[in-house]
Amino acid sequence: MSSESHTPDGERGTMRSYVIGFILSLVFTFIPYFMVVNHTVKGPALLATILGFAVLQMLVQVIFFLHLGRGPKPKWNLFFFISTVGIILVVVAGSIVIIHNLHYNMAPPEQVKKLVNDEGIAQVSGQKTGACQEVLVNHQVTITNGQVTPAHTTAHTCDTLTFYNQSSSTLTLKYITEGPYPHETYAGETELTIRKGQGMTINLSETGTYQFYDKSQTTTAGDFTINP
Amino acid sequence: MSPQELSHHQAAADDRTLFGFWIYLMTDLLMFAVLFAVYAVLHNNTFGGETGRELFKLPLALAETLILLTSSFTCGIGMIAARRGNKNQVLIWFGITFILGLAFLGLELAEFSSLISEGHTLHSNAFMSSFFVLLGTHGLHISAGLLWMGTTLGYIMKRGLNNSMVRKLTMLSLFWHFLDIVWIFIFTIVYLRAFV
Repeated sequence: MSSESHTPDGERGTMRSYVIGFILSLVFTFIPYFMVVNHTVKGPALLATILGFAVLQMLVQVIFFLHLGRGPKPKWNLFFFISTVGIILVVVAGSIVIIHNLHYNMAPPEQVKKLVNDEGIAQVSGQKTGACQEVLVNHQVTITNGQVTPAHTTAHTCDTLTFYNQSSSTLTLKYITEGPYPHETYAGETELTIRKGQGMTINLSETGTYQFYDKSQTTTAGDFTINP
Repeated sequence: MSPQELSHHQAAADDRTLFGFWIYLMTDLLMFAVLFAVYAVLHNNTFGGETGRELFKLPLALAETLILLTSSFTCGIGMIAARRGNKNQVLIWFGITFILGLAFLGLELAEFSSLISEGHTLHSNAFMSSFFVLLGTHGLHISAGLLWMGTTLGYIMKRGLNNSMVRKLTMLSLFWHFLDIVWIFIFTIVYLRAFV
């Protein structure tokens, strides 16, 4: 096999370059796969890492399999490839940024309520939204393997409520509301996904009594009452 | 005449043909980029339905990735044989590539049919629409590549490995590596990202 690197077609691809490329591409597949499965890094950092590995993987394919840039000069293939990648970056990144902005600013009513609460917008079109300007009291509910402590919470508007997940798995809380919005939402939130060992805080901006339950274990439930 | 003995004139003509094919690949890449942008924008719009995390099976996606990576590798080995004019090796390595491509397509179709039988179709929500369009387009390209590979191999079996066949195989291998690159981004952005 070693003699192959001296053949006339060496510049187009040898056994050696294909084997190296194949091994590297396997490595760059397994590393992000196990990072995702084991959650070694979390959130945006993990996303950035796996995207980085995808780009590395692409470079391996381009260099070792497509042999880009190794042909005779001028390297029009390479120029065309780079300009295409440039257009792709503009199109994809631009679309994501623009649509995300649009989605955030021009959203359905439920989303608008969440936006109003998150941003503390006091009034919209001359009407008071009831969104809170400052946090008064933080209430806490801890959920440990089906046990909700305390099961009942009483609070005032503009307090906050933090759910802590001490269970051994991820919790997905859903709400039951009976007020003017007979959906499974609270203040624009449809559900709350809390990883084990973590906590999530909601703003208590709507008055009334609301129940919540775990989506996968509906007996894990509790309620909170918000007085004006 | 072996491929190494190509006249200078014909080599230049081949280079032009390959460059033309490369331009096609780059425009195809732009189309995939737009489909990726659509998926990135719509993947959260599940209309209350299941998200990717609940629908996708990572080991299956890993298996598909490994199959396609291996087929890209065997396709490259086949190209080395083609440039040497070794007909039997070309048939063996591209035959393996063809079988791996079929296996990939089978896994993809199995995933599609299991999703559809559970009621997750193109019409379920924006997330599913963009998913099926992106993966379906890639799957169609793989099918076209397999058809191309099958007919080319049939030709080579019947009439032998001549220069025009080597040129066709070169374009086919570019196409196949290109589909592999697109799949890597599907694996990362569609499958892995759903579990981040």
